[in-house]
Formats: sequence, C-alpha cells, structure tokens
Amino acid sequence: MKRFKSLMVGVLSAALAFTAVGCSSSSGGDAQVLNIYSWADNFDPDVIADFEQKFNVKVNYDVYGSNEEMLAKIQAGASGYDLIQPSDYMVATMIELGLLEEINKENVPNLKNIVSTFQTPPFDPGNKYSIVYTWGITGIAYNKNYVKEQPTSWNDLWKDEYKGRVILLNDPREVMGMALIKNGFSNSSTNKTELETAFADMKTLMPNVIAFDTDNIKQKMIAEEAWIGSVWSGDAAYIQAENANVDYVIPKEGATIWADTMAIPKGAKNKELAEKFINYLMDPEVSVKNYESIGYSNPNEQAYPLHSEEYRSNKMIFLDPADIARAEWLVDVGETLQEYDRYWTEMKSGR
Amino acid sequence: MKTKRIKLLALPTLVWMGALFVLPMILMLVLSFLTRGTYGQVVYQFTIDNYIRIFDPLYGLIFWDTLVVAVLTTVFSILCGYPLAYYISRLDKSKQQIWLLLVMIPFWINFLVRSYAWVIILRSQGVVNTLLQWLGIIDEPLTLLYNSGSVLVGMVYTLLPFMVLPIYVSLEQMDHRKLEAAYDLGATPLKAFWHVTLPMTKPGVVTGSILVFVSSIGMFVVPDVMGGAKSALIGNVIQNQFLSARDWPFGSALSIVLMLLSMLLILLYFKATQAGEAKEGSA
Repeated sequence: MKRFKSLMVGVLSAALAFTAVGCSSSSGGDAQVLNIYSWADNFDPDVIADFEQKFNVKVNYDVYGSNEEMLAKIQAGASGYDLIQPSDYMVATMIELGLLEEINKENVPNLKNIVSTFQTPPFDPGNKYSIVYTWGITGIAYNKNYVKEQPTSWNDLWKDEYKGRVILLNDPREVMGMALIKNGFSNSSTNKTELETAFADMKTLMPNVIAFDTDNIKQKMIAEEAWIGSVWSGDAAYIQAENANVDYVIPKEGATIWADTMAIPKGAKNKELAEKFINYLMDPEVSVKNYESIGYSNPNEQAYPLHSEEYRSNKMIFLDPADIARAEWLVDVGETLQEYDRYWTEMKSGR
Repeated sequence: MKTKRIKLLALPTLVWMGALFVLPMILMLVLSFLTRGTYGQVVYQFTIDNYIRIFDPLYGLIFWDTLVVAVLTTVFSILCGYPLAYYISRLDKSKQQIWLLLVMIPFWINFLVRSYAWVIILRSQGVVNTLLQWLGIIDEPLTLLYNSGSVLVGMVYTLLPFMVLPIYVSLEQMDHRKLEAAYDLGATPLKAFWHVTLPMTKPGVVTGSILVFVSSIGMFVVPDVMGGAKSALIGNVIQNQFLSARDWPFGSALSIVLMLLSMLLILLYFKATQAGEAKEGSA
C-alpha cells in the first residue's frame, strides 16, 4: 500500500539481499531461513532481529509494491517465500486460485489475542488461510484552515468551494466503492444500475479533483495542495503528525475497511517457521513494540493496555468501534472488475 | 571468414535481444488471444474478444488523445531542442563537451525522482509560487500542476535529450563549406539556415522525432505524477490492466494495437520525409 517508497526500498533490499546471500554462504550458515515477501517498512527491524536471535534463524525480507505484483510472482511458482502479506480481497482471490497453505492453528496459539471481529473476516472466515496483520479505514482527511466545518458525509467532497482541492486514492475499487457507499449501495456492488449511478455521480465530482494519488497522497495533504480527500486512517495519522491542521473523520454513510494479512504461500519450504514467526508477532509485548514503530493499527486486543498513551489516544490508530461497525470490506467482484475498470477509464478520459 | 567472426561478436547481443525482446513479444501476442478468468488468472482459451473490445469508442478516443499528446511533445521538443543543439554545435570543442554533459546529466538521476522534483517546483507552495508571491507579483498561488499543460512540460523535459543529441550529431557532421558557399552567393543567415542547414540536418530531426514520439506514446509515469493521474492515456490504461483490473489478455491486446499503430505512423512519417528528400534531389 506504499508503492513508491517500496519501489525504492525494493531496489535497496534487492542489493542487500545479494550481499546477505554472500555472507551466509561464507559462514556456512546452518541456521534456518525465513523468507518474507511483504510491503516496505511493514515490520520494526528490531522485532525481526529479536526473532532471529531468540530462535537462531535468519530472516530475508523482500518487498513488493502492489498485490498484483505479488500475485504474479507467487502464481509463477517456486518463489521460495514462506510468508506473504496479501490484502483482504487478494486473500480471497488467492484462496480461490489455491495459492495459500492452510495455517496450522496449533502452531499459532496467540491467534486468540486478535480482536474477535478480525477472526471472522468475510474474505477468510475462521482465519483458515490468513490472519489480519495491519488494518485501517478509508475516511475523509481535511485541513481545518480551508474546511471550516467538520465534514460528516461523503457529500461534502462535492461542495463547490472545494473546486480543484479534493484528492482521491488512485484506485478504481476504492473510488467507485466510495461513490457506491455515498449512494447507499455496497462498496463491492456488481449491480449494473448501482454502478451506473455511482459512475454518474463520480463524473460530477471530477471538477473538484486535484489529483488521484495513492503513493504520494500524504505529501499532497501535508503541503496543503489538497484540502480534503479520501485517505487511509494510517496515512491520516502520518499526515497529522506532519501537519497539525489536518484532521480525520469517518463519514456517516460508512466507509471501506481494509487489512493486510499474514499468509503462507502454497509449497512454502519453512511453513512451521513461518507459523512460529506469525505467532511471535501476535505476542502482546512484541506487537506493542512492532506497531508503535510502524504506526499502524494493532488488531491485538491483549496488547491494548500495554500501548503508550500517545498511541492509544490517536483516533486514527485506535478507531472508534462505532465507526468500525459502519465500515465494509471490499470483496472480489470477479468478472465485474472489468466494468469497474471501464468506468474508471471513462471517468478519467473526461467524456 | 571475416563476416563469420563479426557474426560471432554480435552473437551475445542477438541472444540477449532474442531472450529479452522477441520472447516477451511472442508471449504478449499469445496472451492477447487468451481469456481472463473470473479471478484475473489467464485461461488458456482462444478468443478475439480482447481485440473486439478495443473497438469500444472509448478506447478510440483515448488512442486519439494519446496521439495528440505525443505529437505535441514531439513538436515542442523540436522547437526547444533544435536551437539548443544549434547553439552547442557553434561553441568551442571544450565548451561543447560541458554542454553535452549538462544535457545528459539528468539521465543519471532516476526519472521518477526528477518528476517529483518538478512537483516540488510547481506545486502551490512550491518554488515558483513562493518566489512570485514573495516578489509581490501574485497574491494567490497559481495552479501550475495537475493539468494537461504540466503533463506536456514534464514530457518535453523528460524526452528533450533524445531530440538534442541526434540533431547535434547531424549539425556536427554538416559540411560547413556549403554554408559558406551560400553566404558567398548572397544568402541572408535566415535563408542560408532554411535552405542549407535545415535540410542537411533533417536526418537528425527525423531520428529525434521518432525517439521522442515512440517514448511519449507509451508514457504513463508523467501523466500520473505531473497530471495528478486525472487523464487516461493509453499507457495508463495498459498499466491498469496489469496492476488493478488484472486483465493481462486485454492489456496485451492494447499493447499490440499500440505497437502496430506507432509502427504505421513511423512508416508514414518516414515516407513523408523521404518523399520530400526525393523532390529536393530532383529539383
């Protein structure tokens, strides 16, 4: 979900991986190796180092910039990875395509620490193949200097006074999902009339849009180029830390909730080690250290009392349960994805 | 014997091109006739639907928009690149090297990073707006980014070296005695340029134009970064097929059509410029 940064980090870590391989072969290295394929900056480096020391193993960490990039590599087979972190809808797709190993629950007793709602997500009820790792909600971030009244509804983005100042995620599912929710439909609708309504509505929003951006949306809000827009809760927390004028709200109509998960690709060589690592990350104390470092919402209920006051009082990280209740997961829409893409293209072509 | 040895020298390149250029191309062609599965996987079932889908007027309009941008980029690159190449070719040899180095240095910096540098220069709290406001020339920041103008600026900036270098080379190779002859026969500098320099450097302009045109027709980073991802050029549509719509067959079909279209246009361009040359030759 951090594509640009991860690209850069990807190049660097690829270079590092080469040197790492060189090192391990010279030292003989009979330690077990855990190969992780994930988003950039998704772990506290200290937490990984602790794990390596405690269990006398080595961790390799490669990064990808999009779910589709990861999918392509796993689908090609023999990727050599033991742990991957697909997002919600991608978990469902990978289950359908038979690309994930079932997680052996006996090896991950700490699963009980995870908030109960995340133990039954619609994309993988019962956590058979995946466990929620980071999560957030796409709400409205706004700059109080320009947006005088606190927004309450997605309708507020359509106000004339925000002409050329609204920023949206550069993602067809997120944007169409927002317009669907605004019109009272499901964010994963496959109904043609509903999609048509949402699309017609989106067209009227275009004059207000300054840009579509996912990788660099934070910079555009911090530099006050954009005044208001759809932003992930974790990104909103980052923006507010850099620009105190920015606040965040989850609209009354509801919003899209998303998660990146921990999963094991089919044919992983070190499945048990991957399960050991998953279990380790769900240890309350480890998770406190980990999540305060990466700045994302922790799904670990047992860890809540252990978190710092600063982390707990951040409403973009500790989201209101009432808001979570209104949020809806994106689910795979199958063949209708082509329709979404066509609407997306037509919207951007300005015709 | 000699040609055999030369062939041997070229072998690594041929193998390289075969593996990294021809094979993916064949793969793409095959993919474009396959079907997208419900979950975005490729299903090995022959179809021509991907090509039929391209006849949707929407994609026609996007091809047209892309062509307009590519042609404008090429024209502006000539207008900016020719004078620069001309100026450099007129300098001392040592100064020429410095200038050529300056033209090429940006290539050493990642292209994405350079695009973001433009964002920092042009955004509402950016270098240009801050300076103009400080000087009291404007009260409100100007909107310099996220429109078709800024996309064009970014494209011309990125591709300009591809235009400058070939033109510089043909200016360098020009026989200056012909220019002197023109002056001796009483031509004004403008006339001499129009009738001698320009025709003699045409190969450079043609090469530069093709390089710029081909690069700009598939461009998707600049419209995303400097245009705020608000316009749909064909490069963006293709990118989306691979990164969000998970429709590799349709993305491949679009790529094939784009490739055929640019090949056709280059062929026409070659024909047109060669026809001009033939006419000049006979005159």
